[in-house]
Amino acid sequence: MNKINHKEIIKIGKYKKINLQSVNKKLAVSLYNFMQRLRLCEESIEKEYHPADQMRCPVHFCTGEEAVPAALNSILESTDFLFSHHRSHGYYLAKNAPMKKLFAELYGKVTGANSGIAGSQDISFPKNNFFSGAILSGATAIALGVAMSLEMKNKNKQVVVAGFGDAATDEGIFWETLNYASLKNLPIIFVCENNNYSTFSPQAKRQSGKSIAERALGFGVRSKSVFGNDVCLVYNELKKAVSNARNGKGPFLLETFTYRYSGHVGPISDEFVGYRSKKEISFWKKNCPIALLEEALIKKKLIKNSEIKNIKENINKEIKASFDYAMKSDFPNFDSLENLNLTKSTPLADKLLEEAEELNFNEDQKIIQTKGY
Amino acid sequence: MKDYKKITYAKAINQAMHQAMELSEDVMTMGQLIDYKPGIFGTTVGLIEKFGKNRVRDFPVAESLMTSVGIGAAIAGKRVVLVHIRIDFMMYAMDAIVNWLSLWRFKSNNESNAPLVIRVIVGKGWGQGPQHSKSFHAWFAHLPGIRVAMPATAFDAKGLLLESIFGEDPSIIIEHRSLFNLEDQVPTKPYRVKYGKAVVRRKGADVTLVAIGCLVIDCLKVAKNLSSKGIDIEVIDPRTLTPLDRDTIIKSVLKTKRLVVADPGWHSFGAASEIISSVSENNLIKMKSNPTRITLPDSHTPMSDPLEKKYYINQNQITLAIENSLK
Repeated sequence: MNKINHKEIIKIGKYKKINLQSVNKKLAVSLYNFMQRLRLCEESIEKEYHPADQMRCPVHFCTGEEAVPAALNSILESTDFLFSHHRSHGYYLAKNAPMKKLFAELYGKVTGANSGIAGSQDISFPKNNFFSGAILSGATAIALGVAMSLEMKNKNKQVVVAGFGDAATDEGIFWETLNYASLKNLPIIFVCENNNYSTFSPQAKRQSGKSIAERALGFGVRSKSVFGNDVCLVYNELKKAVSNARNGKGPFLLETFTYRYSGHVGPISDEFVGYRSKKEISFWKKNCPIALLEEALIKKKLIKNSEIKNIKENINKEIKASFDYAMKSDFPNFDSLENLNLTKSTPLADKLLEEAEELNFNEDQKIIQTKGY
Repeated sequence: MKDYKKITYAKAINQAMHQAMELSEDVMTMGQLIDYKPGIFGTTVGLIEKFGKNRVRDFPVAESLMTSVGIGAAIAGKRVVLVHIRIDFMMYAMDAIVNWLSLWRFKSNNESNAPLVIRVIVGKGWGQGPQHSKSFHAWFAHLPGIRVAMPATAFDAKGLLLESIFGEDPSIIIEHRSLFNLEDQVPTKPYRVKYGKAVVRRKGADVTLVAIGCLVIDCLKVAKNLSSKGIDIEVIDPRTLTPLDRDTIIKSVLKTKRLVVADPGWHSFGAASEIISSVSENNLIKMKSNPTRITLPDSHTPMSDPLEKKYYINQNQITLAIENSLK
């Protein structure tokens, strides 16, 4: 297993190991296209967010962290489940949820993925089995329940992927999750996008001991650490893990070392806090996952500049159409918010059960308080 | 339904579990020690033998994870019943309940739901002390998106459990240890008791006595005693706190114009306060006396026997509150 950490990683200078032989041309271009689409999508939202102030929800941008969602987009079937953290847009798109419904959700419009109720950090697209949430590790633990259910129903034909950051592993429930995944050999893949920061606080300040991947081994979960900006490497590791999980070989944890270029939340830089060094930022910018792949594709003559231009133009068209869709849509108008919390419809109970007459309860009986436990 | 049998509260829960698991293969249950002989005070007895270890899971002492796993399984189509032998341990699951389960339907705008059932048991007596005896019904009833039931009889325990399992929303069913040996006439077949429907357990004209959970039997005993003194008490058991059947309570108070609420929770910010507020907000009621609540003090539960006796609500307190409301 590779022993990687954020301190050591920036010593490599420029990453040169990207290996295109492990992916075919079509796949490589598809990974590239996805990453560009995600990057341009995020940048366009960042640009529009202020001063327009029409997207009135916290947005955690994932610029720089495109590799994992891109790989998952190429690997997962529509029936598989994907659970994400609050930095959710990449995962949302990875499950082929429509971009225009993401934009409409950010604008709080009725046409949004959740009719404007959830916003960026709680967005879901249940039809495509995509869910997210902002409280760390919670979604990972819920993902395990889905995995348990799938294992009981389908004998591992479907899998669950839980994406999270390094800070999620500060939480105790994360390790409870690994324990049960391993104990029951469940079809779940844990993907840690280790960007080194819990908001501003670096991992080394918060966690002792070995790396997340190494600690996972202690729970019996097979794992690996990789340089997370090499999308081909990430793809191959996840592909193997998903295929193993489908074949009943149980859980896997992939720790991918990566970096967010944007601040923790919102489009405004938080560099004034002084929590990241210039050296570190420059290393990660030099090793942008999209640039690394693009350089390799061009070098191997697998893509032409004109094709890149074409890809970007198509994406920009989609982005423009998504903004238009969001802006033109109406705001939601629900008569009663209460009805969004509980339903009055109980189709299964109606089918299986009927009401019965309650006979008089006999109050003359003695209340017996059992002794001991 | 014609076939009724006199069984205990614990047996009624057990019967509901057996029947639910027979009715649908999706029904499963998880909880610490649920597959051992004692079967959580008899409520899970025989399930492991009949339905196997996949559907009847002894879970690690990781309440938060158990709840999250339950949520995930429910999202994916399972009908999961979690069992907490002590409600106090369930507090580890507050993130799963408050931040995830309660708002799952809401934040997906009705496109995804997690009909998870959480059975929790409140301990009492024998010096259980402050970490084995709390009742958090008011907390959970305060939270949108979760149904809260407090069945007081074996009939309700079975009907509400089946209703919860085959319903579409998450439910927390709070069971009190003092109820487990109480008997009632229970239909042998599966049936439902709907949420949000209070039951008038005794009709009366002088005072409305709303009794919650384990205090229902105490209140019925008090009502019966006082009837010999010519005091005519109407006893209402709300059965579920969320949704709360305010209409039945208000209708009764419109008649009696007196209200006493007996609530096995702490005094401040509790279920009793909510019920009294709901009645007070009604313009049509002109009360003959101030509404009163009988609750636990704003204190944790002491262990020592005499202190414990002082802490819990007894029938004398209820009698006194009724008599005061009639002064």
